[in-house]
Amino acid sequence: MSFFGFDASGAQGPQRARGGRQQHQQRQQQQQHSQQPLDFDDTYKGYGEYAPEEEDFLNDETFGNDVEVGNNFDFGHGAAAAAPAASAAPGASAGASAAPPQQHRSYVAAAAGGVHPAAPVDSAADLKPMESLWNPAAAQAAPPAQPQGRVLSLEEVERQQRQMQQMPPQQMPPQQMPPQGYAMVPQGYAIPPQGYAIPPQGYAMPPQGYAMPPQGYAMPPQGYAMPPQGYAMPPQGYAMQQMPQQPMQQMPQQPAVPQAPVAQQPVAQAPVAQQPAAQPQLDRSASSLSQNSQSGTPGPAPMGEAELAAPVHQQMPQQMQQQQQMPQQMQQGRQRQRNREPLTPEEQKRLDIRHAKVEKILKHSGLMTPRDKDFITRYQLSQIVTEDPYNEDFYFQVYKIIQRGGVVGESNKGLIARAYLEHSGHRLGGRYKRADIALQRMQSQVEKAVTVAKERPLRKQEKELAQQQEQEGEAASGAAADSRDGVLGRISSSLNSKAPRRQLQIPAANKDALLNSLLVNDEHHARASAAAPDALMEVTESLGNVDLSQKSRVRRRSSYAFSSVDQSSVMSRSGGRKFVLSLIETVYEEVLELEANLRSGKATDVQKLWEALHINDELYEVCPFISMLSFDKGIKIMPRIFNFLEKEQKLQLLQTFFSELSHLNIIIISSYKTNPQPSEAQLKQIDVFQTVFLKIIVSFLSSSSNFIEIMGLLLHLIKNNSVSFISTSKIGLNLITVLISRAALIRQDTNRSNMLSSPEISTWNEIYDKLFTALESKIAAVFPPREYIAKVTEKSAGSAAAPQHYDQAYIWQFLASLALSGKLNHQRIIIDEVRDQIFGTLAEAGQLATAAAGPGPDAADSRYRRDKLYQDLNLFLNVMGLVARDGEISELK
Amino acid sequence: MSNTPLDLLKLNLDEKVYVKLRGARSMTGTLQAFDSHCNIVLSDAVETVYDIVDGEMRSSERSSEMVFVRGDSVTLITTPEDEE
Repeated sequence: MSFFGFDASGAQGPQRARGGRQQHQQRQQQQQHSQQPLDFDDTYKGYGEYAPEEEDFLNDETFGNDVEVGNNFDFGHGAAAAAPAASAAPGASAGASAAPPQQHRSYVAAAAGGVHPAAPVDSAADLKPMESLWNPAAAQAAPPAQPQGRVLSLEEVERQQRQMQQMPPQQMPPQQMPPQGYAMVPQGYAIPPQGYAIPPQGYAMPPQGYAMPPQGYAMPPQGYAMPPQGYAMPPQGYAMQQMPQQPMQQMPQQPAVPQAPVAQQPVAQAPVAQQPAAQPQLDRSASSLSQNSQSGTPGPAPMGEAELAAPVHQQMPQQMQQQQQMPQQMQQGRQRQRNREPLTPEEQKRLDIRHAKVEKILKHSGLMTPRDKDFITRYQLSQIVTEDPYNEDFYFQVYKIIQRGGVVGESNKGLIARAYLEHSGHRLGGRYKRADIALQRMQSQVEKAVTVAKERPLRKQEKELAQQQEQEGEAASGAAADSRDGVLGRISSSLNSKAPRRQLQIPAANKDALLNSLLVNDEHHARASAAAPDALMEVTESLGNVDLSQKSRVRRRSSYAFSSVDQSSVMSRSGGRKFVLSLIETVYEEVLELEANLRSGKATDVQKLWEALHINDELYEVCPFISMLSFDKGIKIMPRIFNFLEKEQKLQLLQTFFSELSHLNIIIISSYKTNPQPSEAQLKQIDVFQTVFLKIIVSFLSSSSNFIEIMGLLLHLIKNNSVSFISTSKIGLNLITVLISRAALIRQDTNRSNMLSSPEISTWNEIYDKLFTALESKIAAVFPPREYIAKVTEKSAGSAAAPQHYDQAYIWQFLASLALSGKLNHQRIIIDEVRDQIFGTLAEAGQLATAAAGPGPDAADSRYRRDKLYQDLNLFLNVMGLVARDGEISELK
Repeated sequence: MSNTPLDLLKLNLDEKVYVKLRGARSMTGTLQAFDSHCNIVLSDAVETVYDIVDGEMRSSERSSEMVFVRGDSVTLITTPEDEE
């Protein structure tokens, strides 16, 4: 038989030592054991006969090496011998069980050692059991009430137990409990001997360590209840087992701790125990165990040391329920200890520090198994291995350097900078010449970007047709421009750092209306796009009245387009020659009046003048204003008109002008297609127009127009006219050149100062695309045929003194500005189409060069002409980084 | 605005006009100015004088940069034919 849960089978010792995790398993084992009674003689008798036990060498540490063993095993000895007996008892099993724990010395143990610096672990030299524990005298120093006679038979013990259950509190000898409650309980093994000596207490113990569950197992022999107890509080159990002496030392000093459990123990024990008599208390005990607050009630009252017991009561169940409360518990123990025998401040301090440490460590101790740790370690190591340590561990490298040279408190900016430069690839390569890597990275990035960019145009071309309509709509809506591919919309054609992909936008509903608004009334457009998307609403609203008329005009124009280009028909469509002339006269009168007012300092009202200009006059197929420009006097008055017009009026005037460019007489007579044999008067007229009106336009564009306005004008030109026709006339080509070159200038200019908004840029790109599409395959047509050139040269030769030749500079200017605004593929197309002209020009220059070599006045002229040809040609070639020199084209340096 | 005949003439200011004159003469030039007596000033004018010699009509031209034509000799003012 075994005593009070003492596990006689040594083999189980180590198993237990493994702690609470195996609690369940243990319980099962206990059940088995309980069914198979052990023979005490088999276990204890002949204790000393066991051949050299495995861990006998630890016995000294456990029991002390200078203590006489004596008859400690004689449980029948008096009270004086009881304590030694208790110590020997654990030793009996310690041969098998106490040692293993020693091997895994836990932090808890270390902490405990800290609490008691004198503990054997720390001072192994003094392998002396604690006198206080074994010495009855020392025990007497503690609270009074000495328990009943030490020598009790098992029957006596049981009887006592029964008594205790019936009248729990009173019987509790406060002094006696402590060792069991605190130290013994954890050590499942320590209990039995002591229990033998002090049966009641030993018996009382189990419930304490026992949380609820063990009860379910209802160990018939109560002795078996012990072991699980130890497991119920693994940390505690661990600590105790590993440092047996230490808890013992504590015991006498902490009478309160055990008392509390003891007080309630009998109650708790009742159901488990065989005593039916305790039945009435069953309910209370169950609840007292589960609820801390209640558990205190039965205990403290009878206790002499109620003050101490009360807090402890609460402490104990907590400990049972939360096994990690160990440190706290220990601290309390320590505090109590301090109360009794004050430590020196120094010791105290050390203890505190130590405990703080241990508590920290304990917090998460045992969370990970060695396997977990191994896994983590491997994982971390795998992370450390890198192909490019300097880059991957960049921050560490910098940190290391800072650490190495850093002075605390000193500003280490310099160090950081140095470290950074040393390790990162800065421009000079850094210490480790890592610039090349950075460069490679950049290159690969660029490559990637280029591939992406290459793929985009493909997609774009597919949708080009569909896009065009939309894009116009976008242009019209200005800031609101941009919808997306697919169902939700489409992607902007140009995505880059300046024009990144924007938020999704549902395409504007009224695209046609918006388009018209741009064509008819660009002020609105300008305002809308310049100001805010809010203005968009304004535009759409304003459409209500313009829409219809605009449509009718478009229809009207389409029916007439190029059907008649001679002036009289144009004139008749704009109200007839007489009407136009009379308008001019009116305008003159108004201008004269305004000028008179200006001179006399009166206010100038341009309203009449504006009306006289008949801009936006919907009554006529061709705007009378355009017809006015068919007359020299109409052209000549323009600068004077512009002096008085507001900016918006000027803009509107120019919009009309560009919209109806095809009807402009000057275009017609300056185009080699419609007027292959210009008269001298016509050439003069062209000249007048160029010097007067073109000048106005250029000055207006360069002084007061913004990017959007220019785009609007260009869009007017593209939408309402045949660009390919206009480009065959010198004036038309000049006008287009003025617009796109101005736009290019603004773009370049704003690159430095204020950036163009992304919608503006994308709109511009779209407009440019439209323009280019209109011109594509007809670019060569901007060069007038030789006959025309000859005719013009011949005609003008008569009036001019200097040797005449057709000045093609305007064509090269046009090509240059077209290429300047275009992308690489645009430039390629341009070169493709005008290749013949380029080489023709080169050949001509070559001829002139040979002519220039000769003597005479012709040579000078030839030289001049050759230089002029190169100059003009280079205007265009320079845009693409080329230069023509001496009959050859080379790269521009 | 064209209330009086002369207002119509006004429309052709700075335009080429053809002026028929007494004595089988005509002039073409840019109308610079006129008055109620039909005195007119033409610039870049070409005067054509028709003459019948031996039953044949001959014409001789004389151009002048600026010319004043007295109104009592003007019989007709219109736009030149080639302009129409």
